[in-house]
Parts: sequence; structure tokens; C-alpha cells
Amino acid sequence: MNNTKKVWSNLGWTVFTYLIIGIFIFPVAWMVLTGFKQEVEASTTTPLIFFRPTLDQFQLVAQSNFGAYLFNSLFASLVSTALALLLGIPTAYSMVFQMRTRSANEMLFFALSTRFMPFAAILVPLFIIISRLNLLDNLLVLTLIYTAMNLPLVIWMARSFFMDLPLEVLEQAWLDGSSTFTSIVRIILPMSAPGLIATALLAVIFAWNDFFFAVALTYTEAPTLPILVSTFTSNEGLFLAKLSALATAIIIVPVALGIYAQRHLVHGLSGGALK
Amino acid sequence: MKQAHGLAENSIGQPRQAVRDADERLAPAKTRQRRRVIWLHLPALGFMIIMTQIPFLLCVWFSLHAWNLLTPAEGFQFVALSNYTHEFFGDPNFWPVIVQTIEIVFGATAAAVIGGTVLALLLDRNFWGRNVLRGLATVPFLVTPAAVAINWKNLFLSPHFGIIDWLVHSVLGFPIIPWFSSYPLESVVLIIAWEWTPFVMLVILAGLQSIPNEIYEAAKVDGANSLTTFWKITLPMLRKAYEIALLFGTIFIFQTFGEIFLTTSGGPGTATMTLPYYTYQTAFISDQIGLAAALGVIGVIIAIFAARGMLRLITEREAVA
Repeated sequence: MNNTKKVWSNLGWTVFTYLIIGIFIFPVAWMVLTGFKQEVEASTTTPLIFFRPTLDQFQLVAQSNFGAYLFNSLFASLVSTALALLLGIPTAYSMVFQMRTRSANEMLFFALSTRFMPFAAILVPLFIIISRLNLLDNLLVLTLIYTAMNLPLVIWMARSFFMDLPLEVLEQAWLDGSSTFTSIVRIILPMSAPGLIATALLAVIFAWNDFFFAVALTYTEAPTLPILVSTFTSNEGLFLAKLSALATAIIIVPVALGIYAQRHLVHGLSGGALK
Repeated sequence: MKQAHGLAENSIGQPRQAVRDADERLAPAKTRQRRRVIWLHLPALGFMIIMTQIPFLLCVWFSLHAWNLLTPAEGFQFVALSNYTHEFFGDPNFWPVIVQTIEIVFGATAAAVIGGTVLALLLDRNFWGRNVLRGLATVPFLVTPAAVAINWKNLFLSPHFGIIDWLVHSVLGFPIIPWFSSYPLESVVLIIAWEWTPFVMLVILAGLQSIPNEIYEAAKVDGANSLTTFWKITLPMLRKAYEIALLFGTIFIFQTFGEIFLTTSGGPGTATMTLPYYTYQTAFISDQIGLAAALGVIGVIIAIFAARGMLRLITEREAVA
């Protein structure tokens, strides 16, 4: 008797959960759906749920400058992530295995405070410097800025993954006289690979999703995909289906990477405080 | 491999014991490591100084000068702190912007914390399809804010084609509501909270999973009902998770830009302007570099205090535990 009641209440909660998650991700689902509509079907006053899906809008998006923007987005996020890893991993190694706790904490405070300060405050002087150097609208400059944006994240997350490494193996390596470079490449990197991959993916997502620096520092040569969104509305009037198709194309990368890295995100983002 | 020193049993209550033990065991080898010249962090340090500290010092320097790009003839005149006094006492927008910043940051954080808790509790149960739903629930945190904000505006909250207005108007019979002009602040808060809810959910889920089952079993034996268990055991054990969610949430939400830019552009008037947005506007729309620099410095001071407070909370507990 009691048992049946429990089964029903369990089922009830499960149905409720599906419902809530359905509502929660409805905005994204609806957007994706709209991307497969014709323009007329997208701007009806009564929302249209059943329609013949078409790839027309995606073709229109592909025919616009999408490719150039895509290249800029890929370049800026991949190269900035690679640079941030290159600079950040040795730093995290040094903080966890070499520095005294106090200096490591100071380094951590410093790194994170550069990430937490409002970007607006460094954007103003950066803009002045960059325009004086005639480097506005330059993809490399944007990439370096994303590197600076992601470096604290890499240090913070790599540190938390390094702190969890079994020390016996490392100690043995040190006793065997292996150099710092060898210990990083042969031991640290392979052992913390899952966490570091998650870190890299999160860095790619952050750079990919940035709008702030891209809108202020690029015009025609170096703009990334999020900027394409804003040009779609301001220059060409409102095309809901095309806009939805574009947005859908843009979010595929961060959503795929993020879901893949999900398991390690919390541990790394909380600095190792949460497993 | 993470289980190496029993870190897996490491619950939220005593977070860093295992790490300290490891530190002690490591002592001789670590000392040897220390004796080497430590330079591995210098490239990163140098890079961060060039990319953030020098611009920040320039920002402070600019903030002490009157500098309007539209009137180059007036040049770059030293005015000491008058940009700051102008903001504090002479600029009619400054204090409303500060109040809106607080409303948006705390409103969105609070909503995300409540929503994230509900989602975490729902997704912590064991049921068919749980992992898929967890993956789906993180999507709003991952999507490109600019791409989605513009669709919130046109597909959902638009008085013409918005599905929410269709529901409110055509189905429920209420009058059409132009959300972004009638409820600009609430609309922006809704979008930001929606984006950050999954982050809170992930953190709380991790917190829930780190509570050992034995505690629940003991509570059951003692005859505690599920509500008492939740209030007396679950919530207190989630304290660290909530601290992380709150502090990270506020700091990142403070940076919100694209969502505002693409929906309300800070308006109507200045109704949805936050301090970072107002800084951007002052620099890039009004070309008042001196004033914008002062606003930037004020923002940095606020953020640094918040960040240091947060990091102290986290690292001090590591040291004490």
C-alpha cells in the first residue's frame, strides 16, 4: 500500500522534473526550431509548432559573411586558449609544487583579481593604446586580450587539478632527478589530462562567447560571430528565422564543448573546493 | 586517480585536511623543488601585468584628466579628482546607475540561486534520463549570450511575435505587454538569471553529492522527516557550495554586457544601465574618456573588494581546516 504510494510520488516528481527542464530550455529549443522555419512562418502572431522544416535559413546564413566571422571566432578562441594554457600550466605547477603557500596564494589573488576587475576599466585605456598603435580591428590583438581573459581561469583550474595529483609518483620522479620540464610533460599533463581538457574547453567557450571586447575593438576585419548577430538586426531589418538559424549555428560549439566537459567544470571552477 | 589520498571522502565540512596531509608528506621533495630557481610563473605574471595592470594604471591616470575626444582642442588637462567629484555629486545618472547595478546583480543572483537550488534538488534524484536532463539543463549557461539575448528579445518578449505575449494575450486574455519598455529591469534580470541558473545548479549538485549518505541514514534512524532533514542537514552542509555560487555569480553577473547591449542598450533612458555598461557608454558613445576612466576605477575598486573577500573565504578555510 505504502509502496504504491511511493512509486506514484516518485513518478510524479520525475514528470515534474521533465516539465520544469522543458520550460527551462524552451527558449533555446524554440530558437532552434525557428531556425528551420520559413520567414513567414517565424513571424506569425500565433506561434507555429508544426511546419515543414527547411534549411533555407542556414543556407542564407552560410551565404552571408559567416565563413569569415567563423574563422575569426575559431582563431581567436583556439589560439588564445593555447596561449593561456602555455602560460598558465607552468604557473600552476610552480604554485602547487614549488612556491611557499603564502606566495602561491598571493599569485592566485593577483591572477584572479585581473579576471574579476570590470573589463570596462581596462577596455578604455586598451582602446586608446590600441588605436594609437593603429592596431584596432586586428585579430591578433583580440586574441591576446582573450588570452589575458582566460589565463587566470587556466591558473585557477589547473591549480585545483594539480592539487589532487597523487604525490608519490611525482616525488619518485623528482628523486630520479627528472627536470621540471620532464615532470610537467611526462607526469603532470597525462595525469591531469581530463581536468585540463575541461579547462581548455571552458576557455574556448569564454572566448567564443565574448561580445564586449569584440564589439569595441573590431569593425570589418576581425569581428567574431557574436558581432554578426548584432549586424543582422541593425543593418538588415528583422528576419526572425534567419536570426534564429544564425544563433543556432553559433551556439553549437559552446554547447557541445560544455556538455562534454561538464563533469570537470564544477570541480575546476570552484578551485577544487567542490568535487 | 583522484582518490589517491582519500580526497574522495573529503566532504564539504572538512575540505582541506587531505591536502594538508599531502603537503606534510611532500615536505622534503617540495623543499628540493623549492631550491630550484622559480621562474615558471614569470611569463604569465609579466603578461598579466602588461595586459591588465598597465592599462589599469593608465585608467587611473586618465581619470585624473579632463579628456573629451569630441573636443580635442581642450586637450588633456590635469583636473585632479574632479572627474570623481563630478560623478559622485554632479552626474544625475551616477547614483541611479549604481542602484540599478545592485538591483540587477543581486536580483539575478538571487533568482539564479533559487532556480538553481530547485533544479539541483530535482536532478539529484535517481530517475530515468537523469544524465540527459542534467546536460540539457546546463545549456543556458553555455550558449553565446549575444546570440540568445537577441532571440529573447525578438522571439519571447517581443509584443509582436513573442511567444510569451501570445500566451499572456491570446490565450489568457491579458493586454499585450511590451516587456522591454514596461519592465526593462525585470526583463534583463530574467535573461541573466536564466543564464546563470545552470551554474548554480551544477555547484549545488556537486555539493549535494558530497554529503555522505550515512548522515541521511542516521537522521532517518533518529526519526527525522524529510523537511527537517533538508533544513537541518542538507542546507547547512551546502554552505560552501552556496558561498561559491553566490560570490562567483555576483562577480560574473557584474560584468554583464552583451545581454543589455542587444536588448535595451541600457534604456529606456538609463533604466537598465549597470556601472560597466555606463562606463562603456561614457567612453564609446559620449567620448568622455576622463569620466569613463573614473567610472572604471570606481568599478574596479568595488570588484576587487568583492573578489578579495571571496578568495579569503575560500583559501582561509583551506588553511584552517
